[in-house]
Amino acid sequence: MTPSFLALGPNDLAAAWPEISLAVAGCLVILLDAFAPSSRRSFATLSLAAIAVSMWFLVTAPAGLSFSGRYETSDLTAAAGLFAGATAAIAILTARPYLERVGQAKGEFYALLLWGHLGVLLLTRGLDLLVVFIGLETLSLSFYVLAAFFRGIGASSEAGLKYFLTGAFGSAFTLYGIALLFGKSGSVRIAALSRPDLAADPLVAFGLLLLLVGFGFKMSLAPFHAWAPDVYQGMPTPAVAYLSVAPKGASLIVLYRVLTAVFQTGMPDRFRTAIAALAILSMSLGNVVALAQRDIKRLLAYSGIAHMGYVTIALAVFGRDALAAVIVYFFAYVVSNAGAFAAVAALYRDETKPHPVGLLAGEGLRSPFAAGVLALCLFSLAGIPATAGFIGKFFVFKSAIEQGLYALAVIGVVNSLVSIGYYLKVVYVLYMRDPVDEEGPPALAASDRLVLGLCAAGILGLGVFPAGLWNLARRAAASLPFGP
Amino acid sequence: MTALLQTRILTVLVFLPSAAAALLLLFPRSRSREAKIFAIGASLVELALALPLWSRLDLHSGTFQFTETTSWVPALGITYSLGMDGISLLLVLLTVLLTPVSLLFSLNHVEKSARAFSIAFLVLETGMVGTLVALDLALFYVFWEVMLVPMYFIIGVWGGGRRIYAAMKFFLFTMAGSLLMFLAILYLAIRYRAVTGRWSFLLSDLVTLSFPTMAVQTLLFAAFALAFAIKVPVFPLHTWLPDAHTEAPTAGSILLAGVLLKLGIYGYLRFALPLFPDAAMRYAPWLGILGIIGVVYGAFVAYAQRDMKRLVAYSSVSHLGLIVIGIGAFTSAAVTGSVLQMINHGLSTGALFLLVGVLYERTHTREIADYGGIAGAVPVTTALFLVATFSSIGLPGLNGFVGEFLILLGTWTSVHRWWAVAAATGVILSAIYMLSLVQRVFWNPVTREENRRLPEIRPTEAIGALALVVVMVWIGVRPNDFLDRVRPSVEQLRRSVATRKVATTSSWPSRALRVRSGQAPRGIPQEIAR
Repeated sequence: MTPSFLALGPNDLAAAWPEISLAVAGCLVILLDAFAPSSRRSFATLSLAAIAVSMWFLVTAPAGLSFSGRYETSDLTAAAGLFAGATAAIAILTARPYLERVGQAKGEFYALLLWGHLGVLLLTRGLDLLVVFIGLETLSLSFYVLAAFFRGIGASSEAGLKYFLTGAFGSAFTLYGIALLFGKSGSVRIAALSRPDLAADPLVAFGLLLLLVGFGFKMSLAPFHAWAPDVYQGMPTPAVAYLSVAPKGASLIVLYRVLTAVFQTGMPDRFRTAIAALAILSMSLGNVVALAQRDIKRLLAYSGIAHMGYVTIALAVFGRDALAAVIVYFFAYVVSNAGAFAAVAALYRDETKPHPVGLLAGEGLRSPFAAGVLALCLFSLAGIPATAGFIGKFFVFKSAIEQGLYALAVIGVVNSLVSIGYYLKVVYVLYMRDPVDEEGPPALAASDRLVLGLCAAGILGLGVFPAGLWNLARRAAASLPFGP
Repeated sequence: MTALLQTRILTVLVFLPSAAAALLLLFPRSRSREAKIFAIGASLVELALALPLWSRLDLHSGTFQFTETTSWVPALGITYSLGMDGISLLLVLLTVLLTPVSLLFSLNHVEKSARAFSIAFLVLETGMVGTLVALDLALFYVFWEVMLVPMYFIIGVWGGGRRIYAAMKFFLFTMAGSLLMFLAILYLAIRYRAVTGRWSFLLSDLVTLSFPTMAVQTLLFAAFALAFAIKVPVFPLHTWLPDAHTEAPTAGSILLAGVLLKLGIYGYLRFALPLFPDAAMRYAPWLGILGIIGVVYGAFVAYAQRDMKRLVAYSSVSHLGLIVIGIGAFTSAAVTGSVLQMINHGLSTGALFLLVGVLYERTHTREIADYGGIAGAVPVTTALFLVATFSSIGLPGLNGFVGEFLILLGTWTSVHRWWAVAAATGVILSAIYMLSLVQRVFWNPVTREENRRLPEIRPTEAIGALALVVVMVWIGVRPNDFLDRVRPSVEQLRRSVATRKVATTSSWPSRALRVRSGQAPRGIPQEIAR
């Protein structure tokens, strides 16, 4: 008889410490906010400590399965926890001065971010589709609220509502997909999908497609991307820094986990075609529409849609090195994309208004540090060599060529060329135009300096010395059971 | 320290400018003049460190020297591997000479954020030198692309009226070519791994690859050739050049024309030819024809220009066409001449851009019609300009003659004899448009009164131009000092190209990897040997 879900052993508890510490810290922040408002200044520090503790637990936890095989601790979960944790740290460091500037230094922000991060950890570690779904909902519910965090601003309420409606829609797809897979395999465990007869089953394929759609929503993969620009625009920028990276990486890991379980002898061509089509559509649509954007947050949203297209190439390639490429890509994406949003948060004064690119004019000379890091992040997103972004693309395109998917690689680099058009447009505004706004951006806070400096160091460090990251990613990718 | 200079001289040369740029970040921003002087100092130290290589190079060996190899990404066999032969030696020396010349020129001219300007030039120098000495394709690609970023800023921030457009066009054009080359590099490494079971991006490993079909080799060759052809630029891809050269600040134009364009030819010689010899030989006639079109078209368009800088820019299209013809002809003399002509063009065009910049800084116009009869007011500038012009049009006794003569001779003795005829018209046309420029700017009657009191060239500007003139005369009088360094490497290159890569008779397993036996095959195919 299998032990019941509630029979907790000591090992199970040890495996769950990363999540427990996040949940407790979130509750603590809320309680302190209500009963000891004077402690508000230390919320960011407390949250950072919680992230650090959670990461430490995750990395040091003994590898293996827990909760009777429903929960995984492995190199893969550690790597995912590392990049998600790093994103959360960037978001928190950025949020502290940001929230003070807008006069909204409330505990909820940090608590919701911590709980959302908890959801991401559940997504990456769950070996049971229900655990995955609970993770997805924990993440989503936290970020629905974060999207509408500025209650007084119309754009923020709009973002909250839009994210909620599309998110609920996406979750329904996911749940329907899970139900179909459960119906065919008789279990919600992912491992139960590894039956030879299931790989060719049309109903299983349909269930997988529904999962692809559901997580496609979370990844803002075209054609499921429509929410992203509006939500990014209205959501507090530090929360966007997190939302635009970590949940997307976690979603891809879930997809990889499920697909490796089903397709043990390799991915069928029809399925690969479907994923490749999503990748091509996402890259092309994201890049072309981004060319027309005037708002930096919308521009980065479309750039994000395009980037999810690039990294989805590695899902279509489907293999151990391709999964390693995904992991490398997301480490690079953390420092470049979350770094870009951190810089945007530091460079705009008025959060009640949109963030036109034109307002950045001349900041290259007036705020050299923040603008310099933003430019570096954009070059990294564009994939210029010696930056982290190039390394990410390098491994993704390498995996595509190894698999013989030349067309995908060529479409990918053509898209990279298109993307340079809009990244350089921002750089041009930063450095080659005279300031339009008399007042200029707010003074750079110490934590802004820290986070921007770390991102810049990360971009150049990973860009010049990628060997360590690649080894880490290869080890992490070995955690999934790929077929021969 | 001396041990470092002995064993790792190339690393020092590559990263010294970047290290100086990093130090410059510590300078206060208000100290712009000090920053510029520091940058000039750093580039002069670089020049001083590079000069001894001139005599250290072994003239009897065409292979790579001063090599160093360090593992970079072991899992993929990517190495930090540097080396230098005669071709790269001359181009590196040209680079480290032109950098201080352009920085010296800018000492009194660039006012806007001079510290950032100096940093951009030093980073650019790292990119250029790195590109010239990298022997690992991944490393080469990194340097090749990194170069774009400082040049984008140099054109875009410190350039002329349409600088934004020019900078963007420059960046997108160059990037468009190199992205496909990036995929081709990945393909080569992956194929090498499939064939040998180990990863490598080293040029010396990848040249041993053979290809399953001619079509594959042709496609890969096309990806490389496109990247290099855009950089040169070869005729239909040249449209970024007049814009970038015209809008770039003088110092930027000097390096752009002097060094960056050559990197296209260099890349073709160093990588495209030995990696894809069959495709390169098959399509060499096309290359030659595009070169001929470039020579004639560039010359006619140059003659029609009213803007001095644009004229010099189009003259580059014409002159580089001549170099491309020499590469296409691929006889020993033609290739040697082409390599020397790269240096010559860097010297003469660098000097011309510098002197046009001198005039522009005094009058703030580049229109030829705004000048006339200024020889009396600025005799030194006139004299320097004349020498640069004579060098550019190939007057015997100066450097241009040697290069052009070798290219014409080498082309005449190749199978494409009639190319030499077309190339020779380019030489004649260049005399027409350049001398007409000199006539209209320096001699004709004075049309503007203020031009009578035009201030003379300053010492900081003149030193650079003078240094270039000295080298022009040196090459003109003693060309063998230079040719002796180039010839062994050219012979080595021609030998490596003589090895065919697409086997037609052998079956798959043996044709998958056909490592060349020894270094030099005995019989060089007839059409190359001629």
